Amino acid sequence: MLAEIKNISKTFESDGNKIQVLDNINFTVEDNDFICIVGPSGCGKSTLLRIIVGLEKPTSGEVLFKGEVIAPDNPKVAMVFQNFALFPWLTVKENIELVLESKKYGEEAEKVACKYIRAVGLDGFERVYPRELSGGMKQRVGFARELAVEPVLLCMDEPFSSLDALTSQNLKDELLMLWAEVSMPPDAVIMVTHNVEEAVYMANRIIILSPRPGKIVADLKIELERPRNRKDPEFYRWVDKVYSLIV
Amino acid sequence: MIFPKATISEIIGLLEVVNDSGGIEDAARLAADFDLELDEILPSIDGAELLGFVSVTDGNIELTEDARNLLETGIRDRKKIIRDKVAGVGIIKELTSMLMESDERKISKKETLKFLQDKIATADIESYFRIIINWTRHAGLIGYNSDSEEICLISK
Ligand SMILES: Nc1ncnc2c1ncn2[C@@H]1O[C@H](COP(=O)(O)OP(=O)(O)OP(=O)(O)O)[C@@H](O)[C@H]1O
Ligand SMILES: [Mg+2]
Repeated sequence: MLAEIKNISKTFESDGNKIQVLDNINFTVEDNDFICIVGPSGCGKSTLLRIIVGLEKPTSGEVLFKGEVIAPDNPKVAMVFQNFALFPWLTVKENIELVLESKKYGEEAEKVACKYIRAVGLDGFERVYPRELSGGMKQRVGFARELAVEPVLLCMDEPFSSLDALTSQNLKDELLMLWAEVSMPPDAVIMVTHNVEEAVYMANRIIILSPRPGKIVADLKIELERPRNRKDPEFYRWVDKVYSLIV
Repeated sequence: MIFPKATISEIIGLLEVVNDSGGIEDAARLAADFDLELDEILPSIDGAELLGFVSVTDGNIELTEDARNLLETGIRDRKKIIRDKVAGVGIIKELTSMLMESDERKISKKETLKFLQDKIATADIESYFRIIINWTRHAGLIGYNSDSEEICLISK
């Protein structure tokens, strides 16, 4: 068992009003899990992910990573955001080397950066500044940057939602190719998405949350062979099934 | 001449989608599948055709052998196929030989834009420049240094 999400509840207070966002969330993350969390808008998906990586404190409950309470600076857990920030004055390669700074220096940082630049197909773009990149290439930098820290658990919040349909298709497939490579980090992925087809395409497990306050309404194993085909009737049965569970 | 305004990622995305439909798909249906207008996917179709990844007849897009090979292989080997294909595109061949003949194998962006403008009749030559550089960077053929505003051959 990699991580344990135990009795997580979260209530925000703003202007004296209390809003409960998450209600007693429980699940465990195992090696090789590719979990997609889906649910209606505002049901607390992003909040849950932020709690899992330690960026936000739950009101009650706890998240254990390999048996220990998660800390936001845990180097084994990485997070890719939808609109993550690259430093505009640094090149692609420098942006990636930056995250390695605290752990690896000089030549070694460069070696690791190059490895992940190649892994995500960014070679040729090493010395390019973010402003010159298309959305898809920027998101590749985001993946390379998080993979470069060689996390055990990779969390992603709607990583494809700001991309056009074709680019997003391409990135999903390439991410799955990397995922299939045993030698590549991470050991498990948790991805938040509001796109049911995307979840069925990527995940081997889908956790469905109810409208706010988010509760788990289903935790499904997706038993579809890979590579998956969106035109496959079996694929559609899964999509329908997930839709039917989302209120 | 016109040049397709589609990035390499969009073009490969298109191939993946056509592949899911069994390797051949009607362009209009494909657009509808993604809630897109036909206009929005045409550049990717044209780009895929220019690179020899699809053939288009009567609105039907069909994957070529090269496209199937591309899809079957990993990210590393895709790069090589892309490189060969991009290297064969007329306007990019011309740019490459211009670079080979130039001093220090560099050409200013200004001069490049002028060259492109003569080939591509458009008021928006900048965005074509960006697309062509997107292709040649993917292919590892021609890079662009935005500090010195010069394009250059990427040495292997
Ligand atoms: N820091 C905060 N303070 C107060 N309320 C917050 C805070 N962060 C989130 N919320 C509220 O919590 C609820 C859940 O937000 P969250 O972003 O987790 O939902 P989500 O499922 O990710 O939504 P979406 O699908 O729109 O991305 C929303 O009503 C939001 O307004
Ligand atoms: Mg969210």
